Amino acid sequence: MTDTALPPARRPGPRAWAALVAAEGQMVVRDTAGLVIPLGLPLLTLVMHGLGTTGASEPGDAPDPAQAAAIFERYVVPLVLTLVIATIGVVNMPSFLAYYRRTHVLRRLAVTPANPGMILAAQVVVSVLQSAVGIALGVAAATAWFGVGAPARPGAALAVLGLAAAAMYALGMLVAAVAPSGNAAVAIGLTVFFALGATGGMFGPVSNLPRPVAAVGEALPFGAAVDAVGRAWAGLPQDPANLLALAAAVLVCGAVAVKAFRWN
Amino acid sequence: MPAIEVRGLHKRYKDTVAVEDVSLTVEEGEIYGILGRNGAGKTTTVEAVAGLRRPDRGEVRVFGLDPRRDRRVRQLLGVQLQEAALHSSLTVRELVRLHRSFHRDGADPDELIELVGLADRRRTRFEKLSGGQQQRLNIALALVGRPRAVILDELTTGLDPAARRHMWEAVAGLRDRGVTVVLVSHHMEEVERLCDRLALIERGRVAAVDTPDGLVARAGLDQVVRFRTRDPFDPALLDGVAEVRAVRTEDGLVTATGTGELLHAVSTALVTAGVAALDTTYRRAGLEDAFLALTGSPFDPASSYPASASSYLADDANREGTER
Repeated sequence: MTDTALPPARRPGPRAWAALVAAEGQMVVRDTAGLVIPLGLPLLTLVMHGLGTTGASEPGDAPDPAQAAAIFERYVVPLVLTLVIATIGVVNMPSFLAYYRRTHVLRRLAVTPANPGMILAAQVVVSVLQSAVGIALGVAAATAWFGVGAPARPGAALAVLGLAAAAMYALGMLVAAVAPSGNAAVAIGLTVFFALGATGGMFGPVSNLPRPVAAVGEALPFGAAVDAVGRAWAGLPQDPANLLALAAAVLVCGAVAVKAFRWN
Repeated sequence: MPAIEVRGLHKRYKDTVAVEDVSLTVEEGEIYGILGRNGAGKTTTVEAVAGLRRPDRGEVRVFGLDPRRDRRVRQLLGVQLQEAALHSSLTVRELVRLHRSFHRDGADPDELIELVGLADRRRTRFEKLSGGQQQRLNIALALVGRPRAVILDELTTGLDPAARRHMWEAVAGLRDRGVTVVLVSHHMEEVERLCDRLALIERGRVAAVDTPDGLVARAGLDQVVRFRTRDPFDPALLDGVAEVRAVRTEDGLVTATGTGELLHAVSTALVTAGVAALDTTYRRAGLEDAFLALTGSPFDPASSYPASASSYLADDANREGTER
């Protein structure tokens, strides 16, 4: 028998990574229904708060534009940006990953030279890009329609948003790890999202909530992200409690997700 | 070095033993069939070869490599799985190109799409394809890295006859190019036409390994008589007929397989018993008859078998053990 030499082991190169990220991007872009919440909900929140805060249908008619802008920077814009990363991280991403596991996409990939882990990484890359688009949209709309300025501490704002996004994605991975199907992932993700949002200021400032509820909300990633981003925007020093809460969410959710994740 | 070697594979899922003890050797360049009833352990066996299942006992080697440890197996072995989905909103062309990007060398995506007959579905999303088309796309993906061996699990299930013949030609073409093919199938005609050798898996064990013709000859089932009766037929009527090896009844259709002057012997027995046979047909046995005689009918457990059929099965298993 002709004993042909075996090829050397090769990992998929940059071309494979690019193709996988493009594939995940197409999945996300073609999931029209999935785009409505992460891009539409924050903008709607922005506009409705804008109408409420300024008390007029014309933004220019606000009684005290300086005060309105301050409320926007401290509370509304951070909420809008947190909504973007939370919906993408906690609801959308896990629904894709749970669907991939449920329908054996991950298993199919396991018999190719590509590692199924690559699909998770590609999905995170796409989620980051999608979050960046949502954040850019939110900031642009806030600037154009409600006169919100750039953050006083742009570096801090970016760093805090990055940390908050990591916390949301870790939470999303945990949802994907425990959800038996794509549908279940959406249901669990939405429940988690609303629980975090309700205690973290989605339906009005945290200061309006009963004290114990507010305390819980601030310790969870949503409330911590809103406060931390608001501080960066307003130029206030960061509260270590917020950063600790976000870092803890990354570590705890990430570790449990890795432990609980099933490939098929 | 054989392309694929399985030695003493044993795999259980909780309380169910999926594979009791399977050993087989697939030589390079052959089309090797794996035939068996539902639940016989075929898919678990090929999943172990693909590295998707960790054997509880035994050893699997693909070109001498352990598929669970050595990633080179992914470059050498293409796999088409049953029930594997792909990115639902990507098109046929996008998916083939995506999987092509996982390999340094590989087939031209468009030629491959042509080969599996999906040229007019190039721009159709995976979720919009019919079951048979999804199947064909999965076969294309198994071949996209120009593997040296390929596992095709249920190659033509869900395909119409024309598409099935087209796929058979494609698989025969693979052999011409020196690609080793492991074909898991239910389809007797497919196995008979394509396979150089085949393994018959029964209850998690290899019951026989032979060429399709060899298996039929070995079974000694060289003739089949089929007929209908107006009244329910009692298979015991044929018990005493030496030429008859097995009898089964299915929806009023009686099939007797055996040797010698089978047609004459059966006719005589029926006339003696005063049974009128209708629509009588007579032919030489094929692989399906051998398969059924070896494993029992997968569809109708109520069918009756003379004791000789089951003792024959045991004989054959022993013979298999001593011969190989």
